[in-house]
Amino acid sequence: MNGALLILKKEYLELSKDRRTLFFTFVMPLILYPVIFFMMSRLGSQDAAARSGRPSRVCLTDPSQVLGQPLRAEPKLFQVVPRPPGDLRQALRDQKVELSLEVDPDGAAKLARSETLAVKVLYDDSDESSKLALDRFKGLLGRQETVWVQARLGRLGASPQLAVPVKLETVEAGGMSLFLGKLIGSFLPYLLMIMMYAGAMQHGIYATAGEKERGTLLSLLSTRLPRTQIIIGKLLYIFSIGILSALVNLLSMALSVGRLVATADAHPAAVTGVAALATPSALGLTFLLMVPLGLFFANFILLGGIQARNTLEASTALTPGIFVVVFLGVFSMAPGIEKLAWLPYVPVLNVSLAIRKLFSQQANGFEYLVALAMTLVLAGLMTWISTRMLNRESALFRV
Amino acid sequence: MIRLEDLHKTFLVKDKRTHAQRRIEAVRGISLEVGPGEIYGLLGPNGAGKSTTLRMIAGLMRPDRGRIEVCGVDTVRRPEEARALVGYLSTDLGVYSRFTPRELLRLFGEFQGLDARVAERRGMHLLEELDLMDFADVRMEGFSGGQKQKVSIARALLHDPRVVIFDEPTTGLDVLTAKTVLDLLRVMKAEGRAVVVSTHVMPMVEAICDRVGIIFDGGLHGDAPPREILARWGVGSLDEVFFKLAEARA
Repeated sequence: MNGALLILKKEYLELSKDRRTLFFTFVMPLILYPVIFFMMSRLGSQDAAARSGRPSRVCLTDPSQVLGQPLRAEPKLFQVVPRPPGDLRQALRDQKVELSLEVDPDGAAKLARSETLAVKVLYDDSDESSKLALDRFKGLLGRQETVWVQARLGRLGASPQLAVPVKLETVEAGGMSLFLGKLIGSFLPYLLMIMMYAGAMQHGIYATAGEKERGTLLSLLSTRLPRTQIIIGKLLYIFSIGILSALVNLLSMALSVGRLVATADAHPAAVTGVAALATPSALGLTFLLMVPLGLFFANFILLGGIQARNTLEASTALTPGIFVVVFLGVFSMAPGIEKLAWLPYVPVLNVSLAIRKLFSQQANGFEYLVALAMTLVLAGLMTWISTRMLNRESALFRV
Repeated sequence: MIRLEDLHKTFLVKDKRTHAQRRIEAVRGISLEVGPGEIYGLLGPNGAGKSTTLRMIAGLMRPDRGRIEVCGVDTVRRPEEARALVGYLSTDLGVYSRFTPRELLRLFGEFQGLDARVAERRGMHLLEELDLMDFADVRMEGFSGGQKQKVSIARALLHDPRVVIFDEPTTGLDVLTAKTVLDLLRVMKAEGRAVVVSTHVMPMVEAICDRVGIIFDGGLHGDAPPREILARWGVGSLDEVFFKLAEARA
């Protein structure tokens, strides 16, 4: 094992000499995520504030003056504007107005006769301001409908309560913490997988196919170090760099999200919810699952790297692995997969499921242990295959 | 010190056109012995089997058949032990360019089981002998071929090996660097080490080799002092021996 540790030391020493790679591996993520999150939140909150702070511009065609008065009664929400010249749809797309309302020309008479009033609404579903205007109008209409219905009931001498047959009371059982847990649990496995694989891949290629390409592998093999230890040393390097990359990226994201939640006008429950999720046990159990999974990925990279003639070939061979990891990640984010009875027994995917359940207060000890044991066995098996296959001259001397 | 007995090595190669696999016998039935204080030259054209033979002696490759002993250690059964006795220099001029020679030698000393400080001391001594002390703390990124070769030689000799195997040590070097290498080989001979070198450079063979073996098509042709080989083939230079072998094959 001492030889493997010496190889690991060599790899990290080599990495430490390359400041640019060090920067992009460990420092860049710490800068990148806070900057991206800050910009996104800034832009998002500015846009939302701008939308909610001003009234929606409504183009109203209402010859019988049914809706004009209620709309003008709420100047903070609506601004009735004249119809823009030209095509109304284009005016909506050009954001000259947010909503166009066309009321039945005979509307007032119909209301008086207790008939149904028709209102045609034109809006742009792709525009957030237009959707907000529609929501505001639906709210206004709901309130106005109650007034009209209660007036009709009054004319008939019936109780105004007839207009409100049900009073709905909702109590949220999960809370913000559970909501956030499910959200994080669905994308955390995906992030972990992609960061571990992508973070380790280039370093793995440099340490394997790169050694062949630079003509240094023979000098390493000619030392007294047993080959198995050289291979295990390389494996440890790829594995540890994958774990470190994932941790640095996650740490940066967690800090960015935490800062965002703390500084933004977030729901108070969101702050306590995030704090409730980051328990040492949940994080520790997640890390425990990452270890064999990272080892599995490291073996895959090692196999592809040493079998290749050069870095280009290794890169070509290993890049499709990213798509496989993305697929696994997307699958693990799919809604309802936790209900699939066979999923706890599918390697790699059961890791996603276990992490997902850890964060959604549905942790199942048996399923967690199955995922851990299966991934450990798989990683062990892959390590055995790697050390056997890569010990072959056909792999080491393939140039 | 080095004993090869009936060495065979075959490679499977894939024909790019027909995609059929075929066997190439890189080494067939090579037997030779090299004693302490002797420089043995392995000559032969490209692809003749020189490097494969040297890699097998250095414990990097396993023969399909035959036996190799280095200082009495079987390289197939005890490859790590054998490699500890051998200083091997390959044809690749690759060095870990992010390191300085001092860092590289320190690290490789540890790989060879030396204490880091001892390795560094030995490494600096070798760099001095190779006239590279001024560059001991310079990153090797911009090193010339000759400078890289000198660092590689220091790396190969760091653990004070009793057997030295240099695969084409002067290829691509300027005359001054080549002379430094040849002088070093003479020193190693004087120190009683067994040295095997492969080369294309005939004057080098005639200048330093005690015995030569010519590898052609994987087989060893002649195993004698250079003058004896010339006399046996009735030619004036070793180049002509190659030509005669090529004619005989045709």
